[in-house]
Amino acid sequence: MSTRVTLAIVSFVVLIVHGIVFYDQFFNRWEKHQAAYFEQARSLAKTDAERKAVDGRSPRIEQVIVTQFGESRVDRCVTCHIASDDPRFQGHAEPLTTHPYSAALGDVQRNGHWERRHKFTDFGCTICHDGQGRGLETVYAHGEDEFWPDPLLGYVTQANWHSEFKAKLTGKEYMQANCAQCHTEENFPGTPLVQRGRQLFFEKACYGCHRIEGLANGTLGPDLSEVGKKFKINYLWEHTVNPRAFQPTSFMPKFDLSDDEIKALTVFMKSRRGKNFAETSLGQYRARLQQTKFEEGSKDKAAAPSPGRGEQLIRERSCTACHKLGERDGHIAPDLSYEGLIRDEDWMMAHFREPKSRIPDSIMPVFGFGDPEFRSISEYLKTRNAPPPFKSGEEIYKNLCARCHGEKGDGKGVTYLYLDPAPRDLTKVAFMNSKSEDRFLESLKSGVPGTSMPPWERALSEEQRRAVLSYVFQTFVREPRKEIKEHKVPETNPVASSGESIQRGEQIFLQRCTGCHGRKADGKGPNSLDISPRPRNLRNAAFVNSVPDKRLFDSILYGVQGTAMPSWIDYGLSQNEVGDLINFIRSMNPRTVPSGREKSSTLASQMNQEVVCRQKSK
Amino acid sequence: MKPAVTPQIEADGEAVTRRKVLSWLSGFGLFGSLIITAFSNLIFIKPRATYGQPNRFSIGKPEDFPSGVRLSLDTRRVCIVRDGDKMAAISTTCTHLGCIVSVSETGFSCPCHGSRYDQDGTVTGGPAPRALPWYQVSLAPNGEIEVDKDTEIEPGSYLRV
Amino acid sequence: MSNQTSTSPWKAMIELPENIWHSIFRNPLPSSDLGRASTSFTNFFLHLHPVKVHRNSLRATFTFGLGLISFFLFFILVVTGILLMFYYVPSTSQAYDRMLDLRGTVAFGIFLRNLHRWSAHGMVAAVFLHMCRVFLTGSYKPPREFNWVLGVLLLLVTLFMSFTGYLLPWDQLAFWAITVGTSIASYAPLVGKQVKFLLLGDSTVGQEALLRFYVLHVAVLPAVLSLLVAIHFWRIRKDGGLSRPAEEDELAPQPNVEVVTGPALVMATSPAAAAAAKPVLQKRQYGIQGLVRGPFTKIGNVPDRSVFSWPNLFMAELVVFLITVAGVLLVSLYFNAPLEEPVNVMHPPNPAKAPWYFLGLQEQVSYSAFWGGVGIPTLEVVLLLLVPYLDRKIAGVGRWFARERLLANSLFLTFVVVNVILIVIGTFFRGPNWEFVSPW
Repeated sequence: MSTRVTLAIVSFVVLIVHGIVFYDQFFNRWEKHQAAYFEQARSLAKTDAERKAVDGRSPRIEQVIVTQFGESRVDRCVTCHIASDDPRFQGHAEPLTTHPYSAALGDVQRNGHWERRHKFTDFGCTICHDGQGRGLETVYAHGEDEFWPDPLLGYVTQANWHSEFKAKLTGKEYMQANCAQCHTEENFPGTPLVQRGRQLFFEKACYGCHRIEGLANGTLGPDLSEVGKKFKINYLWEHTVNPRAFQPTSFMPKFDLSDDEIKALTVFMKSRRGKNFAETSLGQYRARLQQTKFEEGSKDKAAAPSPGRGEQLIRERSCTACHKLGERDGHIAPDLSYEGLIRDEDWMMAHFREPKSRIPDSIMPVFGFGDPEFRSISEYLKTRNAPPPFKSGEEIYKNLCARCHGEKGDGKGVTYLYLDPAPRDLTKVAFMNSKSEDRFLESLKSGVPGTSMPPWERALSEEQRRAVLSYVFQTFVREPRKEIKEHKVPETNPVASSGESIQRGEQIFLQRCTGCHGRKADGKGPNSLDISPRPRNLRNAAFVNSVPDKRLFDSILYGVQGTAMPSWIDYGLSQNEVGDLINFIRSMNPRTVPSGREKSSTLASQMNQEVVCRQKSK
Repeated sequence: MKPAVTPQIEADGEAVTRRKVLSWLSGFGLFGSLIITAFSNLIFIKPRATYGQPNRFSIGKPEDFPSGVRLSLDTRRVCIVRDGDKMAAISTTCTHLGCIVSVSETGFSCPCHGSRYDQDGTVTGGPAPRALPWYQVSLAPNGEIEVDKDTEIEPGSYLRV
Repeated sequence: MSNQTSTSPWKAMIELPENIWHSIFRNPLPSSDLGRASTSFTNFFLHLHPVKVHRNSLRATFTFGLGLISFFLFFILVVTGILLMFYYVPSTSQAYDRMLDLRGTVAFGIFLRNLHRWSAHGMVAAVFLHMCRVFLTGSYKPPREFNWVLGVLLLLVTLFMSFTGYLLPWDQLAFWAITVGTSIASYAPLVGKQVKFLLLGDSTVGQEALLRFYVLHVAVLPAVLSLLVAIHFWRIRKDGGLSRPAEEDELAPQPNVEVVTGPALVMATSPAAAAAAKPVLQKRQYGIQGLVRGPFTKIGNVPDRSVFSWPNLFMAELVVFLITVAGVLLVSLYFNAPLEEPVNVMHPPNPAKAPWYFLGLQEQVSYSAFWGGVGIPTLEVVLLLLVPYLDRKIAGVGRWFARERLLANSLFLTFVVVNVILIVIGTFFRGPNWEFVSPW
């Protein structure tokens, strides 16, 4: 084909494409809507003046520019919804319909005419509805486009939202989140869902972990002051229903919530968009002042700790959002009903002030209530000292043990996800039959320090404990116990603890143990996620210090049956090397604050330092 | 592509005609595309929505303006006049060089070069070349007064409310 | 024609349109070889071209017009870019809103944005393919070494243009692609941190970075690119036109020369005209341009297989231009340029992917930030720059996949294939947390 023919053809193609592009530009849906509006308005017009006003108009982009609420907003919604403020179009089909008048919105009827409280020319549209004010195509303007962060609140769901929840995420009540941007009063009648959500935020003890400026100061979970700005309602809803849906590593508990409660919480969270329009810096300052006052006042009031005050506090501060106490139960944390028989005041107070001081991997947040209040709570819990009325082993197991160890004894009770170390899987025969009965009885009697297993000594009699144990063996283990072969291990560590020994131990640890126990020895090595039960946190001082050398030798040299811990004697570790290793592990868990620290290996000394610092800061 | 070698083919009259036709076709396509492009770009550059104050705006209910009022809305550059049941909107942009005129007892006066207008905006002195324009005022369906600065009307025509 | 002196004002008025026309277009449409030659060099836009061009250079399958396509895309980018500047505001609070306005409100707004975006993608692809063409035909060999170096620089500037343009919409894609990109820069030894700070004008991507990238994108880089393109074009002529096999010149001579008499040509070609009288082949000749060495002064002298640029070359160029335009118009008509969520500095998208042509780099970076982001790319660029100085053997020039160049071509193709594979992996096989996923 000659160049000239190609040229002629291509130039014609270009001309045609140009034509298509040009032609394409002149078909806007909004122009059609406006043309329809003018036509209908002309037929609805009663006077010549009205007709004339319509005649003079031609389709064009209509917009409201709102500058009085923070950053200026450009709302072009009225380009299509051009009849929104024209009362003649009441009851017409979208988009040419009048925005409803409602006394609830503050609209008033005067001389038979409605008058809007929130004039569109002053407020615009997106301030209440969300959506994209600048868009002129439905898919963009209404926020159906999944990239748009604010789809029409309560009206539009986006394609990638979880289909199961879509139906629950519509309803104009979601717009209360935007009402609350200005109407920040706590008892504003227009925003019942926000109020309910705020109430739930305290009832469900969310305030323990989350911070919301002016409301709560939790630090364990993310700051929720601007959560409504960052996330869409689908995320808020789903994350509340199942915290692990979006973040598999989240340790936020799954609370018992009905759909209505989740909706209220979602609306409440959506309303937290950082600095609200009506909140001046003075208002925020005041809110902060009020909160400090509240704390100080409560300290004064609780000057004389009393069990009654403690009971009130437990109810007010929502301990039972997680814990169980009598009838109330959050299904997340241990039962407090027999706390007076299980823990003493020292333990409780230390646990309240810093939950991790007694159970290093506890997820319970630090509630900054102040000592007198904690004292009241512990006073009250001490009164919970009526012994449990259960008789048979089965009864005792189902009422006291199943909460954590599970009805089936598989270590998957309602709370198991939130306990670290996790409850023992009692159906693992290899483990159960490799440990002596005495050891189980000892754990039942004195508990396992550093874990959520409490000492039952004062709550259950010797016979009761034996009954539970035999119930466990009959029901869950179901295999006859074999005779346990005593391994030959030293009673105490024959290797004296010295800087060199610790350093050698550290070397062995770094070579052999970090895969599961982690470089920090906190039980979170790279393989730990695939192992059940999880590797021990070797920096859990309460636990490590409660274990005698003999058991450590036994576990390291001969492994722990029913777990991933191998028998290291098979992998060539000598008794002396294990001695070094034990010295290293012990060096990370000082019984007291060491006064003159010897110059030891870097890792161990660093860890010691950390421990010291943490203790000092307390 | 076969390079067109010049003299031999040119002698061939048919080829010349064919070439001319092709040239015309190409030229038409190119020129047409160019025109469309230029025209499209002009349309592109002309804003369909502006970021400043809109030219048609609502100023509130008629009741907000008592009879005899002459209220200058400086941000809108318009003066709302009400006389009995008659209402009008007069521009407050000086027709001379665009300063904002201020409302005086006798009408309007411009601070920049001393143009003076009477109460209807007719020039009474100074360099102003034209009277102040009147804008269309209408009663919107929601009962509010709407001023449309895009439509100038005959001075002296009022809206009856 | 133009030097006609008018005797009366009246006559001048009558001849005004004609005189204006002739003052702009000195020659009528040419019908002689002289005319064809003079059309080329009396026209500002055409005089960059040689008067005659070798047939080999016109073969579509030799070049596929890739260099021209790159240039025309650049031209489209300049035009659409200038138009977009009418609406764009380089401010963090307004940039994204302006994108929304382009999409919704401005007539042809989304279309021009599409044109700009897809032309940019096309230009990166075309420049890269152009480089492949030049390498695989051995066209970087002497005397064209420096033009190859210029070409490599042009590729880098093109990529940098594209990189700076990516920030301007101020959406999530923009923000995180630039965050990642500038962090890669900070791995460069010694100067990395300073380079990042200079680019961003701050420690993180923000208003300063947006303004800087805007200035780079609309002023600095286009100027640099234009200058380099001009030199690149100029060197094509000075290096003797496009490369071709040596034997192409030695085919049977086709005398195709008119006696040159036109006044406009005297200066340029009188030595040539004088030489044309002698029927000898002169390898080299010295005229007014005698100080410049090389084979370029052959016009009208050496019997060869060249044809006149007007109309052969110009028409071919016009066809390539129109095909390019039609291509980007059609693509822009059916595919909208993406616009993601507005910037959220607390919440990176997962996965945060750069534009496709940087995904190979991102894939490398996922193994090692220094080696993948700085070490290997630098090594690649240095090697590319040095290619013509390392490979000095003049053999297999001007032919695709010449057998003499088997080693060089295989090495280069390996480089291309590895990069393409990395890009494909990065584009299709990487999911959240940059984990390997199957696209099916």
